[in-house]
Amino acid sequence: MAQQDQQTSAVVLARLIAPARGRLRLSAMLSGMAAVIWPLQAALVAAALAGLLTDAPPLWAYAVGFGVLGLLRAALSYGAEAAASRAGLEVVQALRAEMVAREAARSTGPAAGGVAALAGEKLEMLLPYVSRYAPARARVMLVPGLILVLAFWQSWAVGVVLLISGPLIPVFMALIGWAAQAASQRQMVEIGTLNDLLIERLHALLDIRLLGAGAAVGAGFADAAERLRAQTMAVLRVAFLSSAVLELFAALGVAMVAVYVGFSLLGVLEFGSYGTQLTPAAGIFLLLLAPEFYQPLRDLSAAWHDRAAALAVADEWAEWQARASDAPLLGQGARAARLPGAADIAVTGVQVQLGAKVLHLPDFSLKAGETLALLGPSGSGKTTVLRALAGLVHPEAGQITVAGQPLSDASADGWRARLGWMPQQPQFLDGSLRHNISLGQGDPGAALGMVAMQDVVAALPQGAATRLGEGGGGLSGGEARRLTLARALHACPDVLLADEPTADLDAVTAATVTAALLALAGSGCSLIIATHDAGLAAKMDHVIRLEAAP
Amino acid sequence: MKPLWQVFRLIWQAQRASLLRGAVLSVVVLVAGVTLLGVSGWFITAAAAAGLAGLGAVFDVFRPSGSIRFLALGRTAARYGERVLTHDATLRAFATLRLRVLQAYLAAPYDRQSRLRGPQVLNRITADIDALDGLPLRLILPLIAGGVTLAASFVVLWAIAGIAIAGVVAVGFALGGAVVLIWAGRAANTPSRRVEYAAQAFRARLIDLVQARGDLAVYGQLAAQHQAVLSAEARRQDARLVQDRIERRAGLALSWLGTAIATAALLLGMALADRGALSAAVAAVGFFASLALTEVLAPLRRAVADLGRMRLAARRVVASLPAPEVRAGSSHSAGPLRFEAVSLQRAGAARASLRPLGFTLHAGETLALTGPSGVGKSTALLLAAGMLRPSAGVITLGAHPLPDWDEAALRAKVALLPQRAGLMAGSIRAALQLAAPDADDAALWAVLEAVALGEVIRAKGGLDALLGPRGAGLSGGEARRLAIARVLLRRPAILLLDEPTEGLDTATALRVLHGIRQYLPQAAILTASHRPVETDWADFTLELS
Repeated sequence: MAQQDQQTSAVVLARLIAPARGRLRLSAMLSGMAAVIWPLQAALVAAALAGLLTDAPPLWAYAVGFGVLGLLRAALSYGAEAAASRAGLEVVQALRAEMVAREAARSTGPAAGGVAALAGEKLEMLLPYVSRYAPARARVMLVPGLILVLAFWQSWAVGVVLLISGPLIPVFMALIGWAAQAASQRQMVEIGTLNDLLIERLHALLDIRLLGAGAAVGAGFADAAERLRAQTMAVLRVAFLSSAVLELFAALGVAMVAVYVGFSLLGVLEFGSYGTQLTPAAGIFLLLLAPEFYQPLRDLSAAWHDRAAALAVADEWAEWQARASDAPLLGQGARAARLPGAADIAVTGVQVQLGAKVLHLPDFSLKAGETLALLGPSGSGKTTVLRALAGLVHPEAGQITVAGQPLSDASADGWRARLGWMPQQPQFLDGSLRHNISLGQGDPGAALGMVAMQDVVAALPQGAATRLGEGGGGLSGGEARRLTLARALHACPDVLLADEPTADLDAVTAATVTAALLALAGSGCSLIIATHDAGLAAKMDHVIRLEAAP
Repeated sequence: MKPLWQVFRLIWQAQRASLLRGAVLSVVVLVAGVTLLGVSGWFITAAAAAGLAGLGAVFDVFRPSGSIRFLALGRTAARYGERVLTHDATLRAFATLRLRVLQAYLAAPYDRQSRLRGPQVLNRITADIDALDGLPLRLILPLIAGGVTLAASFVVLWAIAGIAIAGVVAVGFALGGAVVLIWAGRAANTPSRRVEYAAQAFRARLIDLVQARGDLAVYGQLAAQHQAVLSAEARRQDARLVQDRIERRAGLALSWLGTAIATAALLLGMALADRGALSAAVAAVGFFASLALTEVLAPLRRAVADLGRMRLAARRVVASLPAPEVRAGSSHSAGPLRFEAVSLQRAGAARASLRPLGFTLHAGETLALTGPSGVGKSTALLLAAGMLRPSAGVITLGAHPLPDWDEAALRAKVALLPQRAGLMAGSIRAALQLAAPDADDAALWAVLEAVALGEVIRAKGGLDALLGPRGAGLSGGEARRLAIARVLLRRPAILLLDEPTEGLDTATALRVLHGIRQYLPQAAILTASHRPVETDWADFTLELS
């Protein structure tokens, strides 16, 4: 089961990074070229140092050659890193663009916090994998083999030591990889839990304080934070332990080579080379090569941990994508010229998919300037009718005609330019109160006056420049509701769609809102109101009663 | 730099022992690495020299080869220990820091608290603190360990190979490294801050897009919001490319520095050996040591490239930590609640939130404040609860003005039901015990009966029934009554209720109001009311204007 999951995530991950293949190939090539320069540098240093043991003049040119090759090697590594990091950034940017595009086109979807976390921090976790894994794999393909050949050429004994100790590393790595991925997934879960817990607490901060529960809530949070720490440490411990074990293998291998070379040079050991005794140059050369034999394997194992994190991200991506197939909204949601013609509305045979069930909307037609109330119990589809009329849901069947045209992708933006909209839950953007009413168009003062909000706004710390909490924090529920009405009025609509405009309002505020709505209707605007309020419904030209969905 | 330093002090104070041990181990790692390569190089060259001279049989191979094995194993163990210790210490310190930031938000002034945007605060507590892990792990500890290692290398190389090689190697790395890292830190400061600003803008705009998708679409703003999200992302990527390039260049400069120093040490060693001043084996030590010393500087490049972002995060975290305790009063016995010409005009506001108001409310009495929406009823309750401070006038509770009360004592005597009470995910029992952690089931059922909620909760499966996020699973009226039950459990001397029966039908409202009075016969109750059922129930009403 775990094996299967890993394969699926690997497929998803491969698809995610496929567009970067070209740059990654370039990076791998440059990185490989840089790595094969080291044996040349080692040969030059070995010859230069061995030269010191003879009476011949020092081999200055060799030392300088070492330096020049070193500069070249660093430059090639720079190129490899540049290509790989660019590849990573492009992959992440493309995935983010895809997420944002889908989120902007769908009609409903998962909660904002989770979407933002995936698009932000979590996709960022792909970067180390994309930019490190491919170059490390290229070096593993190239360098150990090359060094092995060079070692066997100089001394079969050194070759055998490397040959035996090298393959242990990938075996060990695979074992650790599984443990690492499991730990990474648990860590992701803990991150999610902590975020959910925090969002809940932050939403109820005032209540927690008023109930004197700050200490208890703090203790609960401290527990969750401690669990996240423990889980993160579990991931890190696997990573540190695996890198320590690999370092140990490498250190033992290098030490064995060093001891063999030392004894051979002393003339104590007389096997392992071909006929003649190992020369000092060959000995130093082998010693300089040995650590570089293991280094690519260690790099790959570090990248293997990045891969574990990347696989966990790929899983979350796949999960998001599976939910991304919800019906799209109509049109782009862009600013558009108002659709011409009288704002007549007709709904015939419309069906809307809501999760698993299909909702049948009532047939009706409404002439421009008429008013309509939708009455019915919760769950009877009042909100869905309003959303359908605004083109926010995609009907499965039937037709909505607006201003003499079918409501479609082509006409939706132009139709919405004639609408005012009052949702049941006020939702404020991260900007000033003024911007939230005017949305960047004109001065909202008149609209605020129509809903009797000027005095309330004037008492706020920065007046109309005040930033509100996302649900209207800093205002009462009725005040927040009146702001959404002001926003609708500011749009000078031909048709106003209002969802429960008077629910949960005190009598005085409800009367203010009702008066503003009727004044709007008096000026020739059509009203369609979803409501429980029979008194408000009685003031409309038409009433449609919806039955509870079966 | 100051906020960074403050954050480091907080980490240091919380985890001094582990960090000290970690610092010692990281020095051990680096020193062992340099010694290992130096000794290995010396050993091989010396062995070759002895072999050539025919002295192989008398050369002491066991001490050097033993120390090579010891150093190799010791370094591995020290590195593992250092990583586990420092990461664990940092994560522990961060868990504490997160808690402190949350507590600071819990204690923030009402006006700030009520307008907090959840996603931004979440960012402070999670992402901003995460961004600071590089401070101890990749900057300060490596700087300390690197400095000590370079100093030790200088001394040891001077002793065995002379001041020329010691100077080239240790001073070369110290000065060259400092120049490269300071340049990179300065150059990357602006782009790394831009990355952070753009990332925050991306997040806030994306959350707005998802949460207000329908509103944005109807008003033709969805496409523009989509573009705004993408433009934040494009800014982030542009700044990120610049930042990465600077970091890579720093890496290239450090590699070149390492190569240049190794080459210089090699050439110097060769010259000294050629003159007979040094043996070939000792001449090789400087070269091998400089190969190992590149490890000292390498980890710092990422940290200096990220410095701008870390400073930004540190500034925000420090700014959200609590100012010195505001309410340093003490506890007193409760008594009547008295308003004397109390008014509130917020700084910068054009109009008063509450015009002068005076009354005295005794134990057992109920006063309902009435008046049109926006006249300041809720403000008066918040003032009475000490959540806001009046701009003029005095509020006294018992014999003492409110500022003389400390927070915990005030919360024990005064309970406020806000207009929009927040419930959290969890069981009914947990929701109630938030107010009274020690209350037993009988007490919880008693208070549920008082607010006419017993039947409802029993039907849902009792006290262990679970609520969804933000109390989902209860109707508006049920949630309202559960919130009332919570404040009743506090058994306050002064009970402040902001439109307590909103969303309840008249019959239920009456049951709840009488239940409240029965549950707390001695409490002074102040309400903000507009429903006749509440004003009729109250002993007195006071109309604000």
